Amino acid sequence: MNDSMSIPHLIMSASTVVQLVMLILVLGSILSWVVIFQRTFVMRRARAAHQTFEERFWSGVDLNELYRETPSEQETQGAEHVFRAGFREFNRLMAKTKSADAILDGVQRSMRVAWSREEERLTLHLVFLATVASASPYIGLFGTVWGIMGSFQALSMAQQATLATVAPWIAEALIATAMGLFAAIPAVIFYNRLSSESDRLLGKYEDFAEEFHSILHRNLQGRSEAGAA
Amino acid sequence: MARGQRGPSRSYDKPVGYGVPTLLAIGLHVLVVVLSLVTLPQRQPADPESTSIVQATLVSTETTTDQAQRAEEARARAAARQAEEEARQEEEARQAEAEEQARAEAERQAAEERAREAEQQQAAREEEARRLQEARQEAEAEAQRRAEEAERQARLREEQEAERQRQQEAAAEAERQRQQEAQQRAEEEARRQQEAEAQRQREAEEQRRREEEAQRQREAEEQRRREEEAQRQREAEEQRRREEEAQRQREAEEQRRREEEAQRQREAEEQRRREEEARRQREAEEQRRREEEARRAAEAASQGLDRAIEGESDAVANARQAQEAANSFINLVRRAVEQAWVIPPGAGGGLAATVQVQLGPSGELFGATITQSSGDSSFDRSALQAVEAAAPFGELRQLPPAAQRDFRQFNLRFTPGDVR
Repeated sequence: MNDSMSIPHLIMSASTVVQLVMLILVLGSILSWVVIFQRTFVMRRARAAHQTFEERFWSGVDLNELYRETPSEQETQGAEHVFRAGFREFNRLMAKTKSADAILDGVQRSMRVAWSREEERLTLHLVFLATVASASPYIGLFGTVWGIMGSFQALSMAQQATLATVAPWIAEALIATAMGLFAAIPAVIFYNRLSSESDRLLGKYEDFAEEFHSILHRNLQGRSEAGAA
Repeated sequence: MARGQRGPSRSYDKPVGYGVPTLLAIGLHVLVVVLSLVTLPQRQPADPESTSIVQATLVSTETTTDQAQRAEEARARAAARQAEEEARQEEEARQAEAEEQARAEAERQAAEERAREAEQQQAAREEEARRLQEARQEAEAEAQRRAEEAERQARLREEQEAERQRQQEAAAEAERQRQQEAQQRAEEEARRQQEAEAQRQREAEEQRRREEEAQRQREAEEQRRREEEAQRQREAEEQRRREEEAQRQREAEEQRRREEEAQRQREAEEQRRREEEARRQREAEEQRRREEEARRAAEAASQGLDRAIEGESDAVANARQAQEAANSFINLVRRAVEQAWVIPPGAGGGLAATVQVQLGPSGELFGATITQSSGDSSFDRSALQAVEAAAPFGELRQLPPAAQRDFRQFNLRFTPGDVR
């Protein structure tokens, strides 16, 4: 490999369109990696927070105490958010109606909203990752095709179609594809991993919501029986 | 308990920022770029090592590894240097000889020149002497001539004098006779006519006196004229002599001037020759000094090369061992490539292409590129196809690991000229 075929030299001597494509791909790669890191941190933190909250929830603590631990103005995340939304709605409805079904409906609705917010928060920017993962190979391929077009144009001007005539063009064109793949592969891998992680977390939240719902239902059942008796 | 568990749960509530992930992402890309840049220069120094030439011709068996090639190069260099040294020594000797000859020649020439010059000088001196002698002789002759002339004149004068004397004597005689006669006559006369006689005598005397006077006058005149003549002659002579003298002087002057001129010319010539000589000497000295310097520089260079050779000799020895191990592999590769090579029909004898072959660790073909095109694309393509058809070269694994690394990349040179 001589100096004229080194990768920096090839990048610098590429045509403008190919250089633009490379720039886009580098930017996409950097941003996708920003998203990957950020989401990874978010997921890890959410998982840890969920674990802590579940331990606390199932430790037999009084729900009112648990609810009062956190000031109401503070934003909470994950299962705690679902729990607080549901418990707040439950407390409010308890004061207004005796109908257990109406209370449970309102609690469920409120928890679904909270869960939906959590889903949105967890899957934030994952779409960008998916976009990079699916689009950057095409962008790189566009750069490659453009470069090969240039190489064939150069070939048409050359007297003899030697490999040395087309080699630099094709090399620089292939660098675009390589960069596209370099951006796309981590994006694909981490998109799958992060989305499955978020799905798992959301599933946990859903499970928690159901469990909490069943607890509330149990409480209401007891109270309505007591009320009826 | 509850407080203690709430502590960590607080930190989860804070949203995750983008600063750290951005830094991490950029750092990751910089790392990738740096790695790609760092590994390339590491690979690049290895490239020149692997530019060993494997000739894929049927006849030529020059299949050398890079080390072997280097060894061979070193050997060739050493031989060349030795040859050069010898040539230089020979050259020096020849030059010295030539110089010697030239110097001898120059000396001989100078001697000849000097001899010739001396001869010339001698001849000039002889000429001079001859001229001088001639002049002296001339002068002598002149003097003689003059003396003769003077003698002649003196003789003439004497003769004239004698004549005059003789005349005077004759005149006196005649007078005496006449006097006797006159006396006789006078005695006769006196006896006859004393008075007439006396008168006659007086008259005669008068006449005689007058005659004598006239005679004397004439004689004086004659004398004067002759004297004048002589005077004139003398003057003319004088004049001539002076003229001659002047002429001689002029001639002498001329001669002297010419001599001086010649002397000056000789001196100038001498001077010029000496200058020339000095210049030649200086030039020769300069030349010698330059040669000396060049020789010293060459010696220094050769010493440096010798040192390099000494350093290389170990490498050469190592390379020879590796060469033996590697030759079998390279022969295999060569044979395989030759068998797979379909030479295009139009390929003339003058074509030559170099293909760089890159092999994987187990001998599979990673890439074959034309590094030196023959100018004929079909020929180049056929060479590449030959390499591709001959791959993989599984024998690479049988080589020692160090040699394996060297044979991961090598050049094949395709020259169909010797194929029949």
